[in-house]
Amino acid sequence: MTVPHSVRIAALVLATTAFYGYVGQLVPQKEVQPPQETVLKADMTTADMVKIGGELMVGKGLCLTCHTIGKSGALRFPDLEGVAARATTRIPGLNEIEYFAKSLYEPDSFIVPGFNPGMPVINKPPIGLTDQEILCVIAFLQTLGGTPTVTLQTSHAYYKAPGATPAAPGGAPGNATPTNATPAKGPVTP
Amino acid sequence: MNILVVLAVAAVFALLRFRRANLLVWAGAWWVGLYVIFRFGFSAPIPSSVVSLYMGIVSIAILAYVSSSEERREEVSRPLVRFMTETRYAALLGATVVAIPALAAANVYVQMNVPLEPPLFPRTVHPASPTEITVHDKKIDLDAGENPYLELAISHPEEFRKHVENGRRVYYQNCVFCHGDNMTANGMFVHGLDPIPTNFADQGAISILRDTYLFWRISKGGPGLPEEAAPWDTAMPAWEKFLKEEEIWDAILFLYDFTGQKPRAKEEVHTQ
Amino acid sequence: MNRKLLFVLGPVTGLVMFGAVVLIATFLTNREYKEPYRAPAAIVDATPRAAGLTDEKAAADATNRAKPYVEVEYRAFPVVGSRVAIWAVAQLHLLFAAFVLAVPIFAVLIEAIGYKTGDRRYDRLAHEFTKLLSVSFSLTATFGAALTFMLIILYPKFTNYMMSVFSPTFLPYVGLFFAEAFFLYTYYYGWGKFHPLVHLFLGIGLNVVGTSIMLIANAWLTFMMSPNGISDGGALISTWDAIYNFTWMPINVHRFIANVAFGGSVAAAYAAFKFLHATTDEERAHYDWMGYIGNFVAIIAFLPLPFAGYWLAKEIYAYSQTLGLTMMGGAFSWLFIIQAVLIGNLFLGANYYLWLGMGRVEGARSVQRFIKYLLIAIAVCFMVWATPRSIIATVAEIRAMGGSSHPILGFLGVMSAKNTAVNILILTTFMSFLLYRRTGKTATVSWAKAGHAAQLLIFASAAIIVISLGIYGYFVEASVRIGLSVPQVSSVLFAMVAITTIDVFLFRRPRMTGDVRWGRMPAVSQYVLIFIAVTFTWLMGLMGYVRSGLRQHWHVYGVIRDTSPDAFTPTLGFATQVVSLTVLLFFVLIGFVFWLASLHDLPDYDPVHSPHSPLLAADGHKAERSS
Repeated sequence: MTVPHSVRIAALVLATTAFYGYVGQLVPQKEVQPPQETVLKADMTTADMVKIGGELMVGKGLCLTCHTIGKSGALRFPDLEGVAARATTRIPGLNEIEYFAKSLYEPDSFIVPGFNPGMPVINKPPIGLTDQEILCVIAFLQTLGGTPTVTLQTSHAYYKAPGATPAAPGGAPGNATPTNATPAKGPVTP
Repeated sequence: MNILVVLAVAAVFALLRFRRANLLVWAGAWWVGLYVIFRFGFSAPIPSSVVSLYMGIVSIAILAYVSSSEERREEVSRPLVRFMTETRYAALLGATVVAIPALAAANVYVQMNVPLEPPLFPRTVHPASPTEITVHDKKIDLDAGENPYLELAISHPEEFRKHVENGRRVYYQNCVFCHGDNMTANGMFVHGLDPIPTNFADQGAISILRDTYLFWRISKGGPGLPEEAAPWDTAMPAWEKFLKEEEIWDAILFLYDFTGQKPRAKEEVHTQ
Repeated sequence: MNRKLLFVLGPVTGLVMFGAVVLIATFLTNREYKEPYRAPAAIVDATPRAAGLTDEKAAADATNRAKPYVEVEYRAFPVVGSRVAIWAVAQLHLLFAAFVLAVPIFAVLIEAIGYKTGDRRYDRLAHEFTKLLSVSFSLTATFGAALTFMLIILYPKFTNYMMSVFSPTFLPYVGLFFAEAFFLYTYYYGWGKFHPLVHLFLGIGLNVVGTSIMLIANAWLTFMMSPNGISDGGALISTWDAIYNFTWMPINVHRFIANVAFGGSVAAAYAAFKFLHATTDEERAHYDWMGYIGNFVAIIAFLPLPFAGYWLAKEIYAYSQTLGLTMMGGAFSWLFIIQAVLIGNLFLGANYYLWLGMGRVEGARSVQRFIKYLLIAIAVCFMVWATPRSIIATVAEIRAMGGSSHPILGFLGVMSAKNTAVNILILTTFMSFLLYRRTGKTATVSWAKAGHAAQLLIFASAAIIVISLGIYGYFVEASVRIGLSVPQVSSVLFAMVAITTIDVFLFRRPRMTGDVRWGRMPAVSQYVLIFIAVTFTWLMGLMGYVRSGLRQHWHVYGVIRDTSPDAFTPTLGFATQVVSLTVLLFFVLIGFVFWLASLHDLPDYDPVHSPHSPLLAADGHKAERSS
């Protein structure tokens, strides 16, 4: 009894494809959902913004694909632990909100010493966070070694809040930064 | 590497070499030998997923080798053919035919019999602290700061004892239920907790941490842990909601006093 | 049984069957559905229900007529969904297109060799390769048309956008397609009918046109991955910039090389198919040789492919760090472990075929000794390459390892180790080939000894450079480490070129110690060729998926968002299932192509003399029966 070669060939092709299909089942299976569109309400408190900013950092903003929080060693991108404390002094003349805005809207204008440029512009596609979402991210970043002070009414060099009212309501405690100081420079995006 | 295992495998290979073993025996020996080395030859054991990956590659390689030339094919198939055709091996052949499905069944049985294991969440026990936290509207510098009452130990020993006694009160009113009477992490709630609380009596626990780090952990608790330490894996409450700042500092004083340990010094001390 | 009894039983059975039929028929008619009694139509019409129905119908008509035209974004494909449908069709189109583009490349080269040397064998071989083309070409066109229609039907908005960006490229594409058909058919049907140079010119024309078609199609798909030449809002600024985007050139080069490798392997599979069904020694010899040439083409093209892949990956990183990290660090990182398994199998299969091939030559034993060491090198490299960066382990295993990364295996999971492994794999395969080449030959030139020594020296130093650079990579930071792959690759390339050059002169007029007996190959070698072809095809399917899936929830990365139900990225298990099915479908179809091509050699149908139909004979049954 000999099996015809055509049958053997068919069996070999079937077995090979089945084997590779099986290899595909052995690796971790993960389905990646497209990022959810978060709805930003106009009356959010700073605490709400921190929460949404944290979600944006993990999800739509893809920040934590590269950045870490609380890791040390050989890193490709700066660690964000305690970044709010460093941000106040990083560029003379810029407070931490202006510094965060600068590094999100124009990532290549200032590179942390010891790292390579490589961060995308956050308010442009493919990441494309809106100005309000970026404010939330800044609020979250402020909690890393500082106190969040921004609100949706905060303006900075890249964003002019509609009907900007002076400072954060109630005044931020401690080293409250003049969040609504007239934009130092740069164009005011509508 | 586990030298003994490697040496044993090498000894078997040497013996085979000396006996001029058949290629089929060699193929089997290589397969088993490499399996033993992958499985037991490393002091930090290789996970079974990687071992099976490697053994798959080894199997293909050995198959390729034994069939790579006419002589080798001949040498390998000769004993196999003899085994299957000669009558004196009939009993052994029958045993093999039975053994193959039996082995498969045994394998299934063993695989099904492993105890259930919880899924693993990698967790950093002592994640890096923020440089600064806010407790009761007051900023606490965790890098440069230290226990404000520590200096009293020298300047006002009596005052210092008062703070320690206050800390004792705080501890036995709040912390004892989990961290235990002797601070050995055997409080009465411990059996319901995973991970278990920190054992302060352990020499490698609070003595390697700064007192400000303790302040951070006590005041912010499990909810205040950063992502990599997997919040809610620990049941430690955020004590800032129940205790005053002074009470937390006092409790810290008491912890070090009771265990006879000293907080880790500031970084500058080391660099001097 | 008794004959008389049979005669009696016949009518009895007939009666029983008749009775059974009558019974079944009665049963069925009784069960038949009958209309229940209804009142006559005249009475029904008197109720207000009829008027209500007319009103309703009129109202529905009115709304239908007033309905405005709305542009839809998506339509759904039944059962499997739009994504899988378009995926399978695009992949099949690509596989056939790759084959149709690749075969002319080496067919023309082989034909040119035949013309130059005057060896008729080469001409016959090139013709045989070309035979596979015409059916494949029509299949390519069919799948291309299906793909276009499905894009228009299922993804109208996206297709419309692509049309707006690339409008000037579509008509030239159609024109080139006509030219391709012209060249292909004149090249194939004009075989031996023109002056060889005219015919060669046709072949070159076929290649030029085919490659241009590929360049245009590549522009579309690379634009989807790395859009360029458009405004922030997606409006077109420059079509040329849109074509010449970041990944266009790397994809062009990568695809060109991969097509040749793939085409060679499929052609080798055809030869294997014919070899296994051959009836005479002469045929076996011919198809053995054809399979060898096909596999040789595939392997030679395959060796530089990893380097082209690195270039592509580098350009993807350069275009968007996010895209690069999604590829290597995110959801797709495990895909590259599957890829390592495939490529390891390819290298192993290719080497194995060469080793088996040494058996063709008499007195090959002296060379076959080395197989052991080559095999060990390949297996070790394969293992290093397949070692995952983040290991799957149970809780107990992680405790035993003392952390989630293994103290030793942790070193093997990183770029330095994998780069080194792939370079050594390439060197080893090259070595296998070199050994095969010199089987049964002895160099007679005066400087033979020095030549061998020089070859060995170059080989050893290339290996040492690659390995020591790999180890050095652990001690330097990332930016320096990435740069180390360049000297690694160039030392391997240099070694290959230098050793080949020496080899050519070394074996100028060799003393033959053994004859090459083509056709004297074990059947398993032919199955290896088919295995290599399936693996290549599967690899193409997998890498096609990662290139396309990398965009995740974007149609055009960062410009047109995918809002369809299929916007999520499926699991790797699902993706590999789709790839497997597509590959199976491809092999069913290519089997059909092979069968059609082999019909050509059969004698014409003759009702008097041929007891077997041509179909059976083609299937090799004839061979089995006559033997």
